[in-house]
Amino acid sequence: MSEEIQSTPQKKVLEILVNYLGEDVDANKLTLEAKLEDLGIDSMDVVEIIFDLEETFDIDVPNPGDVEGGTVKFDSVQDLINIVKNLIDNK
Amino acid sequence: MRIVITGMGAVSSLGYDVESFVKGIHSGEVAFRPIQQIPEIDQLRVKIAAEVPDYDETERFTKKELALYDRFTQFQLLSAREAIADAGLEFTGSLVNQSLSERTGVVMGSAIGGQTTQERNYKRLYHDKAKRLPPLTVPKLIPNAASSHVTMEFGIKGPSFTIASACASSAHSMAQSCMMLRSGLIDVAVTGGSEACITFGTVKGWEALRVTSNTTCRPFSKDRTGMILGEGSGTIILETLEHAQERGAKIYAEVLGFGMSADAGNIVQPSSDGAARAMKAALKDAQLKPEDIQYINAHGTGTPQNDPSETAAIRDVFGSHADKLAVSSTKSMHGHALGAAAALETIAVVSALQHQSAPPTMNFTEADPKCDLDYVPNKARPMAIDIALNNSFAFGGLNAVVVFKRWQD
Repeated sequence: MSEEIQSTPQKKVLEILVNYLGEDVDANKLTLEAKLEDLGIDSMDVVEIIFDLEETFDIDVPNPGDVEGGTVKFDSVQDLINIVKNLIDNK
Repeated sequence: MRIVITGMGAVSSLGYDVESFVKGIHSGEVAFRPIQQIPEIDQLRVKIAAEVPDYDETERFTKKELALYDRFTQFQLLSAREAIADAGLEFTGSLVNQSLSERTGVVMGSAIGGQTTQERNYKRLYHDKAKRLPPLTVPKLIPNAASSHVTMEFGIKGPSFTIASACASSAHSMAQSCMMLRSGLIDVAVTGGSEACITFGTVKGWEALRVTSNTTCRPFSKDRTGMILGEGSGTIILETLEHAQERGAKIYAEVLGFGMSADAGNIVQPSSDGAARAMKAALKDAQLKPEDIQYINAHGTGTPQNDPSETAAIRDVFGSHADKLAVSSTKSMHGHALGAAAALETIAVVSALQHQSAPPTMNFTEADPKCDLDYVPNKARPMAIDIALNNSFAFGGLNAVVVFKRWQD
């Protein structure tokens, strides 16, 4: 994991991702910009990862289609971190 | 062996009979409303569904019956009453009727059975710390309760059971009925399915899967956000042509064949290959060419996953003819009634054949490059329809497709 991505809750999100991906993940590939799809995470994996995030941070993550303006998306590692940060800030 | 439809019954978010269902889907009535039957609605992210409107079970069943009938059984009985009366069938009284009762089977579908009973009673146990459950808890929640109560109410004594294949349950029940009719085991099948899945636990479960929308269902539209859960029941009376003609029954449509397949892929992600194999098997069984079909009632759930996959499957099966097909999803109006979906959609297909009009895909706003067929957007279309398909593709990758032909006396 690169050094730029160590702060909490970022760290926790990455831990969840690493935990989910298991040993198959190439640590160099796991960057903030990485697309979930490129990490081998399909749409059902995303659903399970979001469930983990909701349970870990006690937040409710909306669906992209439920939010006006397309501000919620689950495409990249950064997207997941942004969602968690926004929801924690707005608690 | 030719098989025909001689009776239909429906309970859905569009109303309490076939007439209201057919009128609704052809006029583009989107019957999604805020959920009424879940007191914990504040704890739901998805707060709308296609519920049977203003349903009061105490107006329709006695207290004694309600001790026995889960909501899904109630819906099944209501649609079966309409269908059996519509077909003019009786199974008790005369010796002829009694003989028919043993040559008639009840084959229904349900994805989850008596979920209302299960949740209410288990809440008492786990949450309220009740010491005991109502004694009829088990017979009320078993998924075959609906089929069983139809046999009991009407005195039907032939081979009867329930099929569970999630969203394709009632398509498989119709296919199974056709096999029993073709084999000579029965002369009449009372088939279809029922679902009453708008319960707190079930809706939360669908919410967690992130395939339900909290706005509306827009099948094949680029901005689709998922499905809307529905409930209800459809009953279809299938009968051998010989038997129907002998008793002078009115005939709605002919069932030309069916096809079934398993994706052998993923428990939730659909496979266009599996769907295509089911459609090809249905055409083969009905001895048809792709060019013989004019209309498809799509599975069309409105999820990001189903719609492109189903589109690709239709392209695979129909080749260049795919561009001449009308393909619509009536789930955009009556929601996804899971195990009752194919039974209700069979009524939609029969009405399309009768009225020579393709029902619309409602809430369609924008074409998706991945969904590039003619989806009859937002308005029913008068057109010549001689033969049509109904597609059903279930969670678990279990697919069933039924082929229907217009009946002209």
